[in-house]
Amino acid sequence: MNATLLAGVLSSSILSGTSLLYGTLGELIGERAGIVNLGLEGIMLIGAAVGIAATALTGNPYLGIVAAALAGAAANLIFAYVVIGCRANQLAAGLSLMFFGFGVSALVGRPFVGAVIAGLPRLRIPGLGGGSAGGVGARLLEYDILICLAVPTAILMWWLLFRTRWGLGLRAVGESPSVAYAAGRRPERLQYQALGLGGVLGGIAGAHLSVALTLTWAEGMTAGRGFIAIALVIFAKWNPLWAIAGALLFGGAEGLQLQLQAAGADVSPFLMNMIPYLLTLLVLVLWRWNRQSAAPAALGRTFVGVE
Amino acid sequence: MARVRMLMTAGAATLAALIGAWPAAAQNKPSLTVGAIYVGSVNDYGYNRAMKDGLMEMQKNIPGTKLIEAENVPETAESERIMEGMIQQGAKLIFATSFGHQQFAFNLAKTHPDVVFEHAGGWMQAPNFGNFFGATQAAWYAMGVAAGKMTKSNTLGFVVGVPIGFAIGNVNAFEMGARSVNPKAQTRVVVTGGWADKPKEVAATNALIDQGADVLTMHVDSPATVVQAAESRAAYSIGFQSIEARQLAPKGWLTGLGFTWGPFMTATANSVIAGTFKPAMVRQGLGEAMMAVAPFGAAVPGDVRELVTAAADKIGKGFNPFTGPITDNTGVIRIRDGESWDGSKMGEFDWYVEGVIGKAR
Repeated sequence: MNATLLAGVLSSSILSGTSLLYGTLGELIGERAGIVNLGLEGIMLIGAAVGIAATALTGNPYLGIVAAALAGAAANLIFAYVVIGCRANQLAAGLSLMFFGFGVSALVGRPFVGAVIAGLPRLRIPGLGGGSAGGVGARLLEYDILICLAVPTAILMWWLLFRTRWGLGLRAVGESPSVAYAAGRRPERLQYQALGLGGVLGGIAGAHLSVALTLTWAEGMTAGRGFIAIALVIFAKWNPLWAIAGALLFGGAEGLQLQLQAAGADVSPFLMNMIPYLLTLLVLVLWRWNRQSAAPAALGRTFVGVE
Repeated sequence: MARVRMLMTAGAATLAALIGAWPAAAQNKPSLTVGAIYVGSVNDYGYNRAMKDGLMEMQKNIPGTKLIEAENVPETAESERIMEGMIQQGAKLIFATSFGHQQFAFNLAKTHPDVVFEHAGGWMQAPNFGNFFGATQAAWYAMGVAAGKMTKSNTLGFVVGVPIGFAIGNVNAFEMGARSVNPKAQTRVVVTGGWADKPKEVAATNALIDQGADVLTMHVDSPATVVQAAESRAAYSIGFQSIEARQLAPKGWLTGLGFTWGPFMTATANSVIAGTFKPAMVRQGLGEAMMAVAPFGAAVPGDVRELVTAAADKIGKGFNPFTGPITDNTGVIRIRDGESWDGSKMGEFDWYVEGVIGKAR
């Protein structure tokens, strides 16, 4: 593997891994509180559409990101009300949320198909970004704010979950809501908080695709990335730090197959496009040997309260 | 003062006369209601935008035509219901503009013999059902000429959504056009696996530029993403589908290939008004003005413009780039000397010509 290819794979793994990392973290925090959200794809779509709409209307991509985060939180809180407040089945409600997201995002995004927006600016590290504008080197040094904040967000989430009292309570709810309740925690409030935060991250994940990466909106443009993020939560063993590796690995696999095609590798393009998914399957199979208690014990169960 | 008032009075009288006369004039003209369904949004800078532009031109050419449109019409039975609704609103001519709308339009053609249907890209025929499409492959040769002259690295990048025969044919003609002016030009192909996976189109564009491509083009639904991604990395771009994408790349835009459906749609509407409509399988290209070369970008010097225009004229007059001997990129002769592939063979490509770096299967 030559240096160009390596640099290309690295930079594209960072570019496409960013959205995946935010999505994975958004799903992860909800699952740590015991709630599976299969609707992440829908949340990301809403984020992508609202992000581009707000950016086009205000001319400010940062406002677009904020609007996307708020919209993601709002949609996820509707889901929270359905599964926590109304105690609906999480899997069914999650799938409904996905289709809801498809519809809402299509409606919101419709007037903005073909809108020309100023994308999220790339920040230059002073004294470093001296390369030519199009060079691979410059790409490795110029990133937008969301890329720069992705890893710190993961570290912050790890700290919140494993080093604060709030995180301890949240994880306790994910393991056993009734025990957490007996210990004086309020499971439902913690779950609402987790899902609200998860929605913020899911919305940002979608907005990064539309406002920073592609500068365009198209219906269904997340193309399954929400579901990949759900798989990455399992890969990451519900640990935000592992999620960084998972997102980079998957983003890198996608980058690698496209780079190999561009480099003229003697492999069918149909097979190439399967690489990231084959890799996901392979990793999940290999991870099997170490399954000790990674998943929150009460994941997917409905907490019906304590008498 | 009196003079001004007099002028105003005269003006008002003329206006009143015009308003009074207008409905009468409109009644004298035959008016036609035309329905159109699009698979996506007409703001896509791509395929659907081109269809919309064609219909607008038709409406301009035949004053008094009424247009009923529906966007984002899925390729399901839903499209049949939407077209049925248009017929109930008086549509006598319907353009079903996406490939998957064919069967549903055909069903309606059988139950509504008084309504004429035109479908884009299909093959079905009935007395009131015709189809049309642009002959894209040969026209791509002219794009290749532009790319071959403008590249400095002799490497061209082509993002393909799904490698169907028609798309591979486009790539092949592009490379042959590039080689006709620059024997060292190579085209690298990256397949994304979907017609509208935009994040992947960005990654594919980046990968091609990393591998040395300095002119980027694409066969996906909308050129907007690839054109913008190329612009952000200071590479040249060539558009496809609609000729309107140039405003997305003020620096790097070279030219593009777009569908210009206006003349065909106007002729069809006129034949429906006159009652002379005859169904046909229409496949037209640069020569018949169903396709057009987009305006050149500022980066393109005069001599290159002349070469591209000359190539487009040559194709318009019937030059067929798929004339043997043509060797594929593994060295096998695919089209023998003296043989040539016409429009009916364009879906059959499962090989790339010499000079293309990529695998078709």
